[in-house]
Amino acid sequence: MSEQTIKTTQNAYVPTDADFRLKDNAGEITIDTNFAAQSFWKDVTIRFFRKTSAWIGLFLIIIITVLAIVGPGMNEYTYSGQELSQKNFAPRVPGLEKLGIFDGVERMTTSSGTKEFDKYTENNLTDVYYWFGSDNFGRDIWTRTWEGARVSLIIAVAAALIDMIIGMSYGLISGYFGGRTDMIMQRILEIANGIPRLVIVTLLLLVLKPGMLTIIFALMLTEWVGMSRIARAEMLKLKEQEFVLASRTLGAGHFFIIFKQILPNIIGPIITQVMFSIPTAIFTEAFLSFVGLGIPVPQCSLGSLISEGFNSFTTHPFQIIPPVIVMALLMLSFNLVADGLREALDPKLKEM
Amino acid sequence: MKKYTLKRVLTFIFTLLAILLILFILMQLMPGSPFNDEKLNEDMRAALYAKYGLDKPIIVQFFNYVKNMLQGDFGVSYKISKNTPISQLIQTRLPISIGIGGMAVALGAIVGLLLGLLAALKHNTIWDTLATIISVIGVSVPSYVFALALSYNFGFKLQWFPMLFSQKDIMGSSVLPSISLSMFTMASIARFTRSEMLEVLGSDYMLLAESKGLSGPALIFRHALRNALIPIVTVLAPLIVDLMTGSLVVEKIFAIPGVGSLLVNAIQSNDYNVVISLSFIYSAMYIAIMLVVDLLYGVIDPRIRLAKKGD
Repeated sequence: MSEQTIKTTQNAYVPTDADFRLKDNAGEITIDTNFAAQSFWKDVTIRFFRKTSAWIGLFLIIIITVLAIVGPGMNEYTYSGQELSQKNFAPRVPGLEKLGIFDGVERMTTSSGTKEFDKYTENNLTDVYYWFGSDNFGRDIWTRTWEGARVSLIIAVAAALIDMIIGMSYGLISGYFGGRTDMIMQRILEIANGIPRLVIVTLLLLVLKPGMLTIIFALMLTEWVGMSRIARAEMLKLKEQEFVLASRTLGAGHFFIIFKQILPNIIGPIITQVMFSIPTAIFTEAFLSFVGLGIPVPQCSLGSLISEGFNSFTTHPFQIIPPVIVMALLMLSFNLVADGLREALDPKLKEM
Repeated sequence: MKKYTLKRVLTFIFTLLAILLILFILMQLMPGSPFNDEKLNEDMRAALYAKYGLDKPIIVQFFNYVKNMLQGDFGVSYKISKNTPISQLIQTRLPISIGIGGMAVALGAIVGLLLGLLAALKHNTIWDTLATIISVIGVSVPSYVFALALSYNFGFKLQWFPMLFSQKDIMGSSVLPSISLSMFTMASIARFTRSEMLEVLGSDYMLLAESKGLSGPALIFRHALRNALIPIVTVLAPLIVDLMTGSLVVEKIFAIPGVGSLLVNAIQSNDYNVVISLSFIYSAMYIAIMLVVDLLYGVIDPRIRLAKKGD
């Protein structure tokens, strides 16, 4: 019985040379998209753009940024140039004026009914165009709006980046060393967090000269707390992992591990937090300008424009509308992008 | 729990002292002295310094300062209304601000909760999308933009509510400011409620409750909402603080004679003493709210309390 089996096995099949030739089936093999290995960031990008609100936000940010860069140069006016004979002109755009919008006509509601003014024809300035109108000093609101958007964006981005560096380092160091270091650093943070942002910023601006750098500095002092919390939490999650142990065994220094090995792994949540802190910075700047602690004249930011427009917003509402809309859109789109980014970076996160 | 409470209270006291120290240092850094009058000669100035204790060592001055601040003696205003005690200025204004702030918090919490509930219960329907859009806008658009829009449309154009605050019609003229202040609170609470409710609704104990035959309001309010509420309480504290910031500008827009507009006026007229006193009040309120919420959190959530006991 067994002899027979062995015989059959032996006779069953003798491999030939042909079996060992390459199959040459490159054409048959197609990339399996379901399981193809993709880089982390490619995955994130795909997930990010799958969310409509996220790319709408990104699109808006790009448009506003481009306009903030080229907008002030698009017509002949400058942001500080005053023309006192042409103040409070209503918006007028060539082309659109024939459609009945942006035609330079201002409607005023008075006790005796609605009145229409056209300051362009009244003053025989038919070839003058203020796209968003002109303000109380005869300055072009289009130019000022984009100039203001530029200033606000610079302040917000600079503040967010500086916050990132400070908050991140603080949180990473505190989380990594743990123990007494962590205890002391966290108590300091708790006290710093206990002082309202509003109070710190206000007091600082009373002591220092108002200006762009001062505002950035004030924002820097207040916003790092949130960032450092996130960095610390991520650090606590990662520091017990094997790759850290391996690195330490190989003799890596503390700061090498913190900044070269752990940092790249937590960059996702950090970027998200930066995106969230930008709208906060824009808001705080606008708030400071409104209170009178913002950018000194004749420079302008979105906040100072809103504050100027507020003084005459019942008589000339067109003056306050552009900066308000730009600021609201800017804050909205940064929030949308941050939301999208958070979900894209961590798809397991609970829905927000 | 006791240890936890003690720790929180200690942090509270230290934060308060830190704030007082910062304010004190700032006062020292401010240009000029309280007695800048040129008519005073050196002797008179020295006499005044002695009277107010400004000739003592700086440490003693600091402790006197702390003592005065904690007793509510904030000094006098120099610019806004000359030589009026600041505590007197604040006394009439604080209730107005707290009233409007309280209304805004209540409104925001209730509407936000309902909106979040609606979104979670009708998950992935048009209601959900609508609630999400409202809350994203509410979170992103600053309160004073709402204030301007409301004041223009309902105050100026339609004239439903007074545009500016008036003492005669406190209820009516608090409506617009409260709504504009509440938007951020409402939107944040709606978002939190939605995400917490979605998690709770998908949990095992909800399935159990349903399989026991519960349905309708009992299921949602007694079983789901109660658990979803716990994390929401924690976000309330930062929200109230944001509301305090927002109130500064909103009070100015509606010309409300509250603490916020007093601070704005003080900043604009460089009345340092008022600014510093109000900063202290804001900080004290802020950390007190944080303390209360932290302690409440332990009371509300039995899981935390029990875990703490086990230690």
